[in-house]
Amino acid sequence: MMRPALSEHLPFVGALAAALVASAALIVWGDEYAVSIGLTLLMWVALVQSWAAFSGLSGYISLGHAVFYGVGAYVMVVGWQILPVWLGVILAGLVAGAIALLLGWPSLRVRGPYFVILTFGLAEFVKYIVVSIEAALGRSGRLLIGTPSLRELFGAMLLLAVASTIILYVLRRSRLGSGLLAVREDEIAAEAIGINTARTKLLVFGLSAIIPGMVGALMSLRFTYFEPMQSFSPVTSFTIVTIAVLGGSDDVPGPLLGAAFLVALSELLWARAPELYMIILGVLLVSFVLFAPEGIYGKLRSWNRGEAQ
Amino acid sequence: MSVLLSGQLLAAALVLAALYALVAMGLNLVYGTMRLLNIAHGELVMLGGYITYWSFTSLGISPLLSMLVAPAVGAGLGVLIYIVLFRRLLRSPKLAARVEANSLLIFFGVSVIFQNVMALFFTSTQRGYVYLDQVIQIGNVAMTANRLILFGVATSACLSCLAFFKYSRAGSAVRAVIQQRDAAALVGVDIDRLNILVFALGFALAALAGVLVSMVQEITPFVGFPFTISAFVIITLGGLGNLFGSLLGALLLAAVEVYGTAVISSSFRSILVYGVFIAVLLIKPQGLLGRAVAAK
Repeated sequence: MMRPALSEHLPFVGALAAALVASAALIVWGDEYAVSIGLTLLMWVALVQSWAAFSGLSGYISLGHAVFYGVGAYVMVVGWQILPVWLGVILAGLVAGAIALLLGWPSLRVRGPYFVILTFGLAEFVKYIVVSIEAALGRSGRLLIGTPSLRELFGAMLLLAVASTIILYVLRRSRLGSGLLAVREDEIAAEAIGINTARTKLLVFGLSAIIPGMVGALMSLRFTYFEPMQSFSPVTSFTIVTIAVLGGSDDVPGPLLGAAFLVALSELLWARAPELYMIILGVLLVSFVLFAPEGIYGKLRSWNRGEAQ
Repeated sequence: MSVLLSGQLLAAALVLAALYALVAMGLNLVYGTMRLLNIAHGELVMLGGYITYWSFTSLGISPLLSMLVAPAVGAGLGVLIYIVLFRRLLRSPKLAARVEANSLLIFFGVSVIFQNVMALFFTSTQRGYVYLDQVIQIGNVAMTANRLILFGVATSACLSCLAFFKYSRAGSAVRAVIQQRDAAALVGVDIDRLNILVFALGFALAALAGVLVSMVQEITPFVGFPFTISAFVIITLGGLGNLFGSLLGALLLAAVEVYGTAVISSSFRSILVYGVFIAVLLIKPQGLLGRAVAAK
């Protein structure tokens, strides 16, 4: 493989720098409302980029990434006031990664529809286990008092969003990522040319859970409240997949565009007309799968190419 | 232990199994013939329930009559959804290459649309009505009349379906497509017409199940999702596309649910359902009756 010239990475580095500058400006000058929307946007970016690192590249659609978010949140609240806050966040990521290895080891043997349904089932299973544990402990929801400020959380979330974006960018262009892409195109053939598909899949699956775990921890600090039905809600998993479909999950810009689009739509409509928001989301999802399966980013790219010709 | 041997519990399990079998049958048909993962299936159950509720409370139409109307509406919707959305999906080689994932996403969109249109127009309030709730005593088992009707209608609908697939020409064609899609097309089965038939039938069965559900429990725009999940568990248990297998799956899941919650506690219902599901997927992903299929 030819080593791409350094200049090829310039657009990516430039875009990243621009995003960092914009975020810094938001922290300094933005009001509470703007920062909180920024936080939501960064949250979805971090979640979807992490998801795309596994599902976008391998074609194994995980419908259970809410479980990692939920586990992260749970670790955070259980360790609250026992562990230093930021250590708790890191631990949340590590536990989520470990859970992913544990769940992924058996479940990555099945593929296609079975994997989709299984990841969903596993996430629900873990949710109800946590619900039972909390019920057995006699707790219905936990409050966190004295959490970091909104701006601190924004900064931390920015770090995660940037990290997940860089991971996806590097992974897509690495040996490991090529292995995953090969699995997506033809798993048997990938195996035949000497890719250890089982190890590749498991490794990246585990990796793609760490950041969602940390995101879950940060969001529990943001909400200062933990309730398992909410933290493990399958809506999170579905939204991740929807964003990926809207934006296109094949490379870094897709999830970014999808997340920005969804957050804007949700800000416009969610508070005023939640049903209408969901209906529009449904219509968009259906239309994108049918008419623009490559997502917003893919469409933009093919338009560009069309013009160049 | 004596609780477990009571006829009451057995009757409850059988009623639930019949309802589950009916819901799972339609889902399995659509998956078996076209490889479409219809996670909007439960929404048709919900819709059937609402049609019955409104006909009964506003127009005074008996739920028994809705057993004809709701499936007709369901069938119409099924045909419409097939023609507008899925004909295109199945014909485009690019989309059809990942038909399962794509159908899942589309049906998820459809499901969200149905739920929220209903919530928008009819609010999320629980709706219920009282119909034939007198208790009937059979031996030492007491059951309300509407549950008895549910059991009778669901069982006969499932059995007629199985008979239809076994003995009729169109039914044989459906089975042929489930087994060998390309070969069936080669011997002259009109796949497109068959797809329309299957969509109509699958959606009609779900709507019929909805009529029955509304007779015994309250409904909301979000009542369908648990049925979708149960139906998926059942057809996975029985083997995706295996119609007889899903009857067994329904019995097994209903038994696990009813006896499991009787022994442990009703708060463990979901853990039990998902536990059984995961165990089967991990140990025998092709279903309890399935033969191992060579990986694609």
